Amino acid sequence: MKLERSKDWWMTRARREGAAAIGAGLLAFDPAPEQRSLSAPATPAEENRIAFGKFVNLMRRRRGLSMEQLADATDLDASELLEIEADLYYVPEPRTVYRLAQTFAVPQRRLMQLAGLTAANDAGLRQEAVRFAARSESVQKLTLEESSALEAFIAVLSEQEPKRVK
Amino acid sequence: MVEVSTIYLLDVVSGESVEAELRDAIEPAQIDDWVTKWQPALLEVLQSLARRGVPITQWPQSWHWNWAQKTAKVQGLLAFRGFSVVARGETQGLAQIDLTKSGREPSQASKPLVYIDYLEVAPWNRPELGAAPRLRGVGTALITAAVALSEEEGFKGRIGLHSLPQADAFYARIGMTDLGQDPAYQNLRYFEMTAERAHAFLEEE
Repeated sequence: MKLERSKDWWMTRARREGAAAIGAGLLAFDPAPEQRSLSAPATPAEENRIAFGKFVNLMRRRRGLSMEQLADATDLDASELLEIEADLYYVPEPRTVYRLAQTFAVPQRRLMQLAGLTAANDAGLRQEAVRFAARSESVQKLTLEESSALEAFIAVLSEQEPKRVK
Repeated sequence: MVEVSTIYLLDVVSGESVEAELRDAIEPAQIDDWVTKWQPALLEVLQSLARRGVPITQWPQSWHWNWAQKTAKVQGLLAFRGFSVVARGETQGLAQIDLTKSGREPSQASKPLVYIDYLEVAPWNRPELGAAPRLRGVGTALITAAVALSEEEGFKGRIGLHSLPQADAFYARIGMTDLGQDPAYQNLRYFEMTAERAHAFLEEE
């Protein structure tokens, strides 16, 4: 594609741009798992880890997916998904959490906190995670209670980031 | 075959014009520049913010990323259609284009448009990063390219994009319609340019 415009045409536009900041798209924005390079991730709170495994388990079942099918959809190893759901001491790779967040359409940053990859600074999320973990049982089909617990938790996850307190 | 258009940018310090190339592709040279020049420049600003004790919450939005992940994604740009602005032997701005999306604005709902998946200006040209920017007009040139491509594709100049928070005002100023925050895109605001507005944007002097 070729653009034929005069020098004046371009210069008028460059001047008109002024001190405006211009950028677009998630790749330019990407407020994802930040500050890992600056401070080591804190040890994940137990309740968060339980909630993360439960969350993946319920989200998978809500979609009626087997472990393999979720592995396909997320381009992850089924064995890793198994570990996430079964082993609460397992800390997944950031890429894994990233793929899961994309697939489940929840904010990466919150899910990272849940997985114990970044420190969750707000008591609210921790509290919700405990409540969620306590409410959900691992049975074959999602019960009504599990569904509503899951819905409520997704709502909390998707809330705007709270301001961090220094 | 990469088409190269000659465009002009404004040197902010001298007020002179600078000849530049608008290339209708992102090539390996751009990825090299991103890795060897953009990233170090960004890290430098980041370090100076940290040294000055600026809390992370107050850092520019685009800093809260995972570098390894971002680098991998930028390398992936080679697989897509895009534009780059090159001046003084360096990449000054990048944009990636998606031709499969359609409009949301009521007057052009579900009509095809050029969606700008990614638009980033070199850190040394960004006014929001604190230091004096070197070149002005890079972002405008990339938007212009997207509108022109939209015309060429028969999309009548319609474009759409998810704006970075610091850029909302610019898109509103060039006449794009603000369709509000999009929860599917981390609440970035979605903007669209209508065919009518695009025509004016390309033709007016």
